[in-house]
Order: sequence, then structure tokens, then C-alpha cells
Amino acid sequence: MVALLEVDQLNVSMRSEAGRLVPVIENLSFAVAPAQTLALVGESGCGKSMTALALMGLLPEDFVITSGRILLEGRDILSLPARDMRALRGSAMSMIFQEPMTALNPLFTVGDQIGEVLRWHRGLGGAAAREQVLALLRAVQIPAPERRIDAYPHQLSGGMRQRVMIAMALAGKPKLLIADEPTTALDVTVQAQIFDLLAQLQRETGTAILLITHDLGAVGELANEILVLYAGRCIEAGASAGIVAQPRHPYTRGLLRCVAHLQLGQAPKSWTDLGEIPGMVPPLGARGAECAFLARCAKAADVCRSNPQPILEPIAAGHAVSCWCKAAVAA
Amino acid sequence: MTTLEAPTLTIVSAIDMPARRATSPAGIAMRQFLKSPSGVVGLCLLALIIVGTLVGPHLYRVDPLDLVGAPFMPPDSDAWLGTDYLGRDVLAGLIYGGRATLAVGAVAALITIAIGLLIGSLSGFFGGVVDVVLVKITEFFQILPPLLFAMVLVTLFGSKLSTITVAIGAVSWTSAARLTRAEFMRLRDLDFVKASRAAGASDRHLMLRVLLPNALPAVIVSATLAIGVAILFEGGLSFLGLGDPNVMSWGLMLGQNRNYILDAWWAVIFPGMAIFLAVLAISLVGDGLNDAINPRLRRRS
Repeated sequence: MVALLEVDQLNVSMRSEAGRLVPVIENLSFAVAPAQTLALVGESGCGKSMTALALMGLLPEDFVITSGRILLEGRDILSLPARDMRALRGSAMSMIFQEPMTALNPLFTVGDQIGEVLRWHRGLGGAAAREQVLALLRAVQIPAPERRIDAYPHQLSGGMRQRVMIAMALAGKPKLLIADEPTTALDVTVQAQIFDLLAQLQRETGTAILLITHDLGAVGELANEILVLYAGRCIEAGASAGIVAQPRHPYTRGLLRCVAHLQLGQAPKSWTDLGEIPGMVPPLGARGAECAFLARCAKAADVCRSNPQPILEPIAAGHAVSCWCKAAVAA
Repeated sequence: MTTLEAPTLTIVSAIDMPARRATSPAGIAMRQFLKSPSGVVGLCLLALIIVGTLVGPHLYRVDPLDLVGAPFMPPDSDAWLGTDYLGRDVLAGLIYGGRATLAVGAVAALITIAIGLLIGSLSGFFGGVVDVVLVKITEFFQILPPLLFAMVLVTLFGSKLSTITVAIGAVSWTSAARLTRAEFMRLRDLDFVKASRAAGASDRHLMLRVLLPNALPAVIVSATLAIGVAILFEGGLSFLGLGDPNVMSWGLMLGQNRNYILDAWWAVIFPGMAIFLAVLAISLVGDGLNDAINPRLRRRS
């Protein structure tokens, strides 16, 4: 399998006001194959969005990539000049944001905003661009696209706006689509529709998707592979079926227990099944060499306290975990 | 046989239906503006003044610089509003002077906004070193006493109307620059700017098509108020004897006649009132625009 995107030992740090470099993402490596979906899962503050912004070359000013490589189709994009990087954004890879209510320019119509991307990346203008915008709006299943094309963002609902964002992201025919919590701001039924839409568009266009989410339950169907991030470190990675069925890291298990499994016509087995993970992600700068999950882990043992966080170790075909107690957890 | 009555038909014509409302942001702002009493009053007053200065010379054919009669003729003599200390017609002065005064105000405000937009947008968009340098420059101009600085410029380059206009623009752009900078910095980190960047927008596109249109409402209000300030400024300079003596303006009338205010109040009071009304009208328009674009106020109403 040839990787479309390959991230190799990526390290991102934040420059503190004192000038110190505080690690945000540590030694992150992963790969995404064409037409596949990788889900990046973790709580807020785990570095998911920063990973996405690092890929797009859009890290905030005080964040720096200290080491590592990002290869897109074999090309190291970290060494590209700003102009070439800009040409890649929107065409080779594009991004959907979390908050559809604010991610569209309020002063321009939907058609204008999608049309611009078509002009930049596909050289389309005038009637050809409008035709293509309509096709994109139809592709993201917006009803009555002939009317919506001239609508301003404030005239559309949240789900509709997220569809417009997806249309905009797909306008440049990207090979990689980064979706940063695309459904967090939407209500549940719309969430399912958007996930369905992404899956369908992926089948039609063959674009790879990097899906960023904290909802491990939602990604099981959409993602081929899952990578669980905790405090900027990858703690478990593998094929999504394997991870959802047999999570090995206590944190992954915790995330899965946070999801309510309800079925129509059946009483939930027990509400106590619905778990929570006590505590919160250690803040930047308060992360030592030991396992970052230590303070919150119910299975923590002496071996965890006296040793640095273990490296990712394969425990089955296509399933790796970084935990001293993986044997105990699996039991 | 019963007579058949013609059924009464109610015809709902398209005309009865509410007009299709504008949905563009500019259209919505315009509707809001027309709902604001101060805005509408100001706009009417301003329109009246502008039409007066445009049409006036065709109806009242007196040269404002001609000596039409004896000095200090009171109103309601041959000259409707009297004559000044040289015997020039005050009404003609008001009509022609309004053109110069309003033109100075508008052009000076344009210069103010142009410089302010350029400096402020570069500073707010790029941040970092660019911002530090431009903010220092802005601060330098800000601490210069504006009236004194403008007087120096006019003294150096001569009291022509064009020099005066440029001088006013050159001393009053700092607040527009700071406003634009603040707007750009606020907008720079908003989601739709990030999304536009992620879609491959260039810096030029981000500045001109994404940030500028969104910063424009605040800038338009400040530009409107800048016209009023510039008119007052021109009045102030003329009052101090630095007006262009060859072009009649309200400020010039005020400045040249101020020594004779006890003998001929009309030559000072009328141009003074003209300045007052013009600035009032512009402030009211600014008020209305502010109401129209401020979403918080809009929600309350």
C-alpha cells in the first residue's frame, strides 16, 4: 500500500512567553492511503487540531515544528516555500472546520465562495464555474441548489452550511480531506447525515479522509484505521474494527465506554455502563516522560510510575499500543 | 327565476404582497439605516445642504468675491443675508463656500481613510515586525498636536485649498489606522478567515476580499465622522487666518469677519450656523450607520 500522506516522527512545540519550547505533539507517525479514512481520536487538548494545522501549514505563529517530516505523495511539504504550500492548500489537501456557523464569510453568497476555490485551483470562471458550483451543491445533497447558490450563509442552517463547507473543500478535487470535528456543532441526526455524506463522497471521488473527532463511537463505521492521541502522544493505533472490538489501552477503553449504545425498543442494559474518565488532560508544560495518562488511569501500577512512557508496540497484526499494562488490560 | 349574482372575486395581486426583502448584508444594513430616525433626519439635512450648494449658484447669481455694495449692510437689504466687512454678499458666500467646505471635508476624509486603511490593514494583517514598525509610525503622528502640525504644513506649502486638504488628511489618519488595525486583528483569527486560508487564498485575497469587506462597516462609520472633523478643521485653520483667500469657504468667512462680529453679526453667525448644521447632519448620518451595522443594537430593536 502506497501512502498518500506519511507523517514521520512529527514533533510540534509551542513557544512559551519565556521563550521555552513546550512540546505539543511528540513523535507522531502515521500514514493515510488513498481513498482510506484515518480517524484521529482524543479529548480536547490532545493535539488533534494542531496535527491538522501542521499538515496544512497553518500552525499559529507561536507553534513550531521542531522535527519530523510530512510527506504528501512522497514530497516533503515542510520544506516547500510558502507559495507552493499555498498552491497545495485547497487542491492537494483541504480542510473542513468544526464550526459551520462561523466558517463561511458572512458577506458573500455561497456560490461566490465556492466559485473562488474553483477559480484558484481549476481556473474556472463565469458560467462554467457556476455550473460546477451547482454540481458540487448537488453532490453534497443540498436541496434546490439553484436557489441556495445565491444564498448568504445566514440564510442556511448549520447542517446546510457544513454541506457547503464540504462542497468548498471538495471544489479543488483534493486527494486528502482533513475534517476537524465536522459534526461536533451539529445535532445528532444531522451528524449521521454528514458522516454518510462523507463516506459516499469518498466512494465517488476516492479522496482520503483524515477525520478528527473525540467521538470514538461515531468513527467505527467510517474509519478504516484509528489513531488514539493522548497529550500529544499516540497511545494506540490500528485497524478500526480491532480497536473498537478490543481496545487495549485504558484510555481507549475509557473513550469507548463514554459512548452510549442505545437500541430502539431495548432498555439500556445499565446506565452504569456509561463511563467517564476522571480528571483531565495534563496541560502543556506539565507533561513528564512518564505515561501522560498515569494520573487518570485506574490500572496504573508501579511499573508505570518508575518508567518513561513505553514506545508503541505491536500486539497483533495492525494494532499497536503504548502501555506497560497491556497484558493486564486485555485480560 | 332567481337572479344569479356574480360571484365576488377577491383578487390578490402581486402588488399587495410584501416586496421581496433584500437579503444581502448591504441591503439589510440599508433597511436598518432607513429605520433609524437620526440617520434619516441627518441624511435629509445633508441632502438639503448639498443640493443647496449645487443648485444655489444657478438661482442666486452673485459672485461671492464681488463687492456688491457697502460693507456691513444688514440682512434684508439688497443682499438677503447682508454683506461682510468688504461688502461681499453673505448668501453668495454661503452657497459657494459650501462647495469648497464640503469638498475639503470629503476629500480630506478620503485621504484620512486611505492612509488609515493602508497602514492599519498591513499592521493588523501581518503582525510581528511589520506591526511594530507601523504602530510606532502611527504613534509618532498621534503625539503631534494636530492643529499645530497642520498649521506648520500649511505655512510651509502655502495656504491653497489643496494643501489645506492634504494637511488635514495627514494629521488625522491615525485613529482610522488604529481602528482598521484592531478590526483586522479581530477578524484575522475568525473561522472563515482560517477556512479561506485552508482553501488556498492568497494574502492579497485575504486582505482585500475577506478581511476588508468585513472591516468596512466600522471604517465607513469612522469615515463619515471624519468628514465632520475635517470640516471643523478647515474652519479652525481659516479662523486662524490660514484659509485659502482666493476660494470662498465657510471657514474663511468666519475667520475674516470675526473681528467685526459686534458690528455685523450676520457675517459670522450664518457661516457658523452652516458649519454647525453640516457637521450635525454628518454626525446624525454616522449615528444611523452605526445603528445599522451594529448587530447588538439591531437585536435589541
